[in-house]
Amino acid sequence: MPVLECKELCKVYGRIPALDRVSLTVEPGRIVGLLGPNGSGKTTLIKVANGLLTPEAGYISVCGFAPGRESRAQVSYLPERTAIPTWMTAVQLLDFYGDFYADFRRDAAIEMLEHLNIQPRQSIRQMSKGTREKVQLIMVMSRAARLYLLDEPIGGVDPATRDYILSTIIGNYNPDAAVILSTHLIADVEKVLDDVIFINQGQVVLQSSVDEIREEKGMSVDALFREVFKC
Amino acid sequence: MLRKLVKHEFRATGRVMLPMYLILLVTAVGANISGRGLIGSSYWILDTLAVLVVMAFGFAIAGACLLAFLLMIQRFYKNLLQDEGYLMMTLPVSIHQHIWAKLIVSTVWFILTILAIIISAMVVAYDVGFLSEFFNELLKLLHGFLKLNAGEAVNGVVVLIEGIALIFLAMAAFSLQFYAALAVGHSFANHKLLTSVGCFFAIQFVMQFATGAFFVSADRFGFFRFMNRWSPTPIVAVHVGMLMLIAGTVIYGAIFYGITTFFLKRRLNLE
Repeated sequence: MPVLECKELCKVYGRIPALDRVSLTVEPGRIVGLLGPNGSGKTTLIKVANGLLTPEAGYISVCGFAPGRESRAQVSYLPERTAIPTWMTAVQLLDFYGDFYADFRRDAAIEMLEHLNIQPRQSIRQMSKGTREKVQLIMVMSRAARLYLLDEPIGGVDPATRDYILSTIIGNYNPDAAVILSTHLIADVEKVLDDVIFINQGQVVLQSSVDEIREEKGMSVDALFREVFKC
Repeated sequence: MLRKLVKHEFRATGRVMLPMYLILLVTAVGANISGRGLIGSSYWILDTLAVLVVMAFGFAIAGACLLAFLLMIQRFYKNLLQDEGYLMMTLPVSIHQHIWAKLIVSTVWFILTILAIIISAMVVAYDVGFLSEFFNELLKLLHGFLKLNAGEAVNGVVVLIEGIALIFLAMAAFSLQFYAALAVGHSFANHKLLTSVGCFFAIQFVMQFATGAFFVSADRFGFFRFMNRWSPTPIVAVHVGMLMLIAGTVIYGAIFYGITTFFLKRRLNLE
């Protein structure tokens, strides 16, 4: 059963279509890059899958459910902004995630916090922007979810942190789960991807495996992206 | 899950409200000391200081009320509809549980604020004889209760329960008016906060119009004539009055609860 399935999904902001009849399927066990230029609809699609936006038309199923309480128990979502309450400390955040998610692995989270030398008693407010992003990612990746929806997980961080984030994703995701990773920094994520979905102006322009792109088109995902989205 | 939401909501709000109550208590003690001869003292500096402390107590009362009110709105707005909403609205809990958690916690803070103000007022008024006088009056009241017959005692307790229920419901309905306006306003794509303010006034207008229309219709169907002809005993009249107020408050709150739930469930559009 696919972990994410969309059929003819539409979302409009005022008169501007953000998602225009999007149809796609994501199977478990795959790391999928949701790739597109800025404003292409990546974040909108992820927000619709999380039930944070209501689509105007179409069908969406997340782990077999419409976005809602049941699907949220199985989806681990990293938003593109800092959503964790900044008055909390890292320890309070561990309690929070542990309270609400049965699949939260507290030990794994503590280990990652220690590895990054993040003070568990320090409030999130006192942390730098990069550290906040790391803490948020640690919480998200410490869940044994069926689907990880990661919106721009490497946007706005330095290259060393990017490598750490990608290795955290690879090292911590449940192999039976799927990871959907939205970004426009293709070169950095290409090495970890199994499949790619190119999205532009709210429409899916390509869905393919990375191997197929390399074999059939004889180019890297980054090179294909530059060709498809040439200005 | 509701219990967990309530726990974390108390944790988030307690760090704001509890220091406020401490300020209220400290200024109340200060105002008490000021009242013991410092005001009107021959030393102008002591007199001025005492007046300032009493004023600080006044500001602390206003501050506690304002803080409880603003916190009720801010928690709903910031925690569910702003950045934190990306975390909260993706928790495996229902919209009903989110709303109930916010309602329960804000209502408890409203009640605690009233109690804190009453206690601090008692602290201000406290002198050596005050406590003994207070407990004497309390004992007299209890003696009075013991002299009541069973019917009077039961009615008294029921009226008390009705009163407490009415206070809780009225405060919950009060909060729900703001929740509904914010939920409707944030379903729009742009100018969400401005639209929320507009929605608040529009909802108030519609509700006042509907209440007026209800009373006009009730009059037309002879409800008030019936009430005038009906001559119940005073205690029955009190019960009927309280139950009608409770029913009215429940209906009023339920309308806003329905609007809030619908818009958060079906029209959510986080920026």
